[in-house]
Amino acid sequence: MTKHLRLLAIIASVAILIAACTGTEATTAPGTDAPATVAPATDAPPASEPAGAALEGTLTLWHTYSSGAGTELDALNEILDEVRAENPGLTLNVLEVPFNDVFNKYNADAATGAGPDLFIAPNDSLGFQAREGVIADLEMYLAGNLGDITDTAVEGSKVDGMLYMVPESLKAVAMYYNADTVTTVPATTQELLDAVSAGTYTAGFFGGANGAYHNFGWWAAFGGQLMDETGTCIADQGGVAEAHAYLAELQAAGAKFFPNYDDMANGFKDGSLDLIIDGPWASGGYRETVANLGVAPMPAGPAGPAQPLSGVDGWYINPNSANIELAVAFALRTTDQSAQQIFVDKAGHIPANANIAITDPLTQGFADAVATGFPRPQVKELDNFWGNFGNALQQVLETDADATTAIATACSEMNTANGK
Amino acid sequence: MTAVSSPLPARKPRQLLGADARTAILYLSPAFIVMGLITFYPLLFQVYMSFTDFGLRNLRPGAEAPPFVGIDNYVKILSNNLGIPNFHFIRMLFFNIWWAFSNVVIHVILGVAIAVMLNTPGLRLKRIYRAVYILPVVIPPIIVATVWRNMFDTDNGAVNNLLSTIGGVFNLPESASQINWLRDVNDPIPLVPLPLAYFALLTANTWLGWPLNSVVATGALQSIPGELYEAAEMDGANAWQRFRTVTVPFLRPAMLPYAIYGFVVTFNLFYLSYFMTAGQPFGRTELLVTQAFRLVNEQRLYGVAAAFAVFMFFILLTITIITNKLAKATARYDA
Repeated sequence: MTKHLRLLAIIASVAILIAACTGTEATTAPGTDAPATVAPATDAPPASEPAGAALEGTLTLWHTYSSGAGTELDALNEILDEVRAENPGLTLNVLEVPFNDVFNKYNADAATGAGPDLFIAPNDSLGFQAREGVIADLEMYLAGNLGDITDTAVEGSKVDGMLYMVPESLKAVAMYYNADTVTTVPATTQELLDAVSAGTYTAGFFGGANGAYHNFGWWAAFGGQLMDETGTCIADQGGVAEAHAYLAELQAAGAKFFPNYDDMANGFKDGSLDLIIDGPWASGGYRETVANLGVAPMPAGPAGPAQPLSGVDGWYINPNSANIELAVAFALRTTDQSAQQIFVDKAGHIPANANIAITDPLTQGFADAVATGFPRPQVKELDNFWGNFGNALQQVLETDADATTAIATACSEMNTANGK
Repeated sequence: MTAVSSPLPARKPRQLLGADARTAILYLSPAFIVMGLITFYPLLFQVYMSFTDFGLRNLRPGAEAPPFVGIDNYVKILSNNLGIPNFHFIRMLFFNIWWAFSNVVIHVILGVAIAVMLNTPGLRLKRIYRAVYILPVVIPPIIVATVWRNMFDTDNGAVNNLLSTIGGVFNLPESASQINWLRDVNDPIPLVPLPLAYFALLTANTWLGWPLNSVVATGALQSIPGELYEAAEMDGANAWQRFRTVTVPFLRPAMLPYAIYGFVVTFNLFYLSYFMTAGQPFGRTELLVTQAFRLVNEQRLYGVAAAFAVFMFFILLTITIITNKLAKATARYDA
C-alpha cells in the first residue's frame, strides 16, 4: 500500500511539473493570434488593404457601449451588421467590457502579449498607453486616411505628435436642462447663481472625489489654468480657486452636488433636478425621460467662456495583433462618413468627420461645447491631476475648506508626484 | 592453527533520511511545487519589484528590466510622499489595527452572549434561530456592501428613514435624521478620532460577524459537562460566577483561535471598506488592503504597490507571531 501511494505521489509531482512547464495560452479572445513581440517598425509603409477590397480574417474587438444609455450599442451593432454583410470573409468576435474596467483589463492583457485586436474608447488613457507601449503607433497606417477628420480629432488622437488612435467622435460635457422649467438658459455663471439663489430651478452637479472631469470647464471661466508648458501645475496662480469658491457659493445657494454620479443622473431623469452638467454619452437616457430636453454650453465666467475638457473617442489597435492592417482597415471602415452618421443619428455622437452636418439641436449643443473646449492633454503629468484635484473639490464642497488652500495643496501634491 | 574469524555482516551505509521521511517528502512535494509556483515565486518577484520603478512596459516577455530605485518606494510610503491625496501610512495602519480589534471584540462578546441564550434549556425553535442567524454569511460580500451602503444613504437610506420615523414620534425636525453616515467629516464622539463611516462599517460587519462566533461558541458550550454547573450551583455560585468559572474556561480554547482567525480576516476585509465607504471620508476608513488595490488599479504605481505589499507582509507576520503566542497560552480546562 505504501509503495502504491509513493508511486501516486511521484506521478502527481511529474504531472504538476509538466503542466507548469507547458504553461498556459495567453488570454486572447478566440480568433486572435497574438505574437510574442511587436513587429519592428520599418521605413517602408506597410501593405494596407486596398481601397474597396473586402476584408477577410478574424478580429476580436472590445467596446464599452452597454455602460451607457444603450443607443451607442444600437449604433455600433448596426455598423457591425453592415460591415459583416459587406465582408462575408470577415469574422468579428465582439466583447462588451464595462467602461470602468476596460483600460485596466486591456492594459494587463496587452502588456503580457495578449488582448483583443482593437477596442474603442475615449482618449482618457491614450498618453499612458502610448508611453507604456500597449497600443500601436498608427502613424504609417493612417497616412492619407484622415483627410476628412477635424484637426481637433486628429490632434486628440496623437501623443508626442504620433497617431495612436483612429478617431470616431468628440466629446465634452455641457449643460443639460429641462426646457419646461429652465425657460431662460443661464449664459453666465452669475445668471446661474442668481437663478439658483432665487429658486427658479434646481441645479445638480457631480461633485465628489471623482468630479474633477465634470467641473474642469469652470476653471477657464474664472481665468484658471492647470499646467504650463513644462507640465508643472500652475493652478494655484489664480482662477482655479475662484472657480471652486464659486461652486461652494452655488451649493450654499441651493445647488446640489452629488458624490455619486448615478444620483445626479437619476435626479435629472426623475425631474428633481432641472439642470445638470454631463456628457453626450448619457443623452440617450435623458432623451427618454425628459420630454423637453435642451443642451447648451456651460455658462461663461468673468474671465471668459467655460472650457470643458474635450476628448476623442476612437479605435485603439493592439500592437500584439497578428492582423494590424486588417484592424486598421476595419477601424477606418467603422469610422467612415456613413458609420459616423449612424453614430450621430442614433447615439448623439459629435462626429470627428468634418463633412457630417449635425441636424439635432442637442448634438449641436455638444458640438458647440467641444468647439470651445480644452483639448485633453496627453502628458504624463495629467495622471496625477485627477485624484488631487478631485480631493480638493471634495474638500471645498464637503468640509467648507478654503478654496485657495485646497487648490494650493492639490497643486503641490501634483507637482510632488510628477517630480516637479 | 589457523584463526577462523566469522565475517561480520556489512553495515548498511547510513542514510540521510529514513524511509518514513522520504515518503512524507514525496507526498508533500506536489503541494510544495504548486506553492512554489503560485505563492513563493510571485512573493520573491514582488520583493524585486518593490526596489524598482516597475511599469506595464516591463511586463512583456523579453522587455527591458525596470530601473532600480533602491529603497525609494519604501521611503515614499513611510514619508507619505506619493503625491496621492489622503495617503497617510501610519494613520492607515493604526486604523486598520483598531478596525480589526474592535470588530473581533464585539463579535466575540455578541456571539457568546447569543450562544449562551440559545443554549438555554427548554428554549423552543432553537434550530430555526440558528439557521436564520447564519444567513448573513451566505450572502455574497458585494451584495452585503451595496445593501448596507444604500441603507446608510443620507437621503433615502433605511437607517435615516427609521430615525425619521422615530424622530417624528418625538416631534424632532426632519433634519435631525438626515445623517451623512458615510461622508461626514466630523467625529461623532469628542476626542475619539473615528468618523461616522467607521461606525457604519462596524454595524455592517457586526451583522455579518457575530453568527459564526455564535456557532463556534455553541459548539463549545455543548461540550461542557452539565455536572460542573450542578456542582457549582451546589457550592452556591450565582449565574455570573458559574459563567465565569465554568463556561468561560471551556469557551476559551474554542473562541480564542477563532478570534485570532477573525482578527486576520477582518484586518484584510476588502469589500466593506472599498464598496461601502470607498475609504471616505478623505481616506479615514481606508484599509491597507484597499490602499494596495488603489495603488495598482488607480495610481498604476506598481513598484510602490509592491513595496506596500511587503510592508503588509511584515505587519501581518508580526500579528501572526503575536497571535500564535496567545494561542499557545490558551489554558485548557481539564475537569
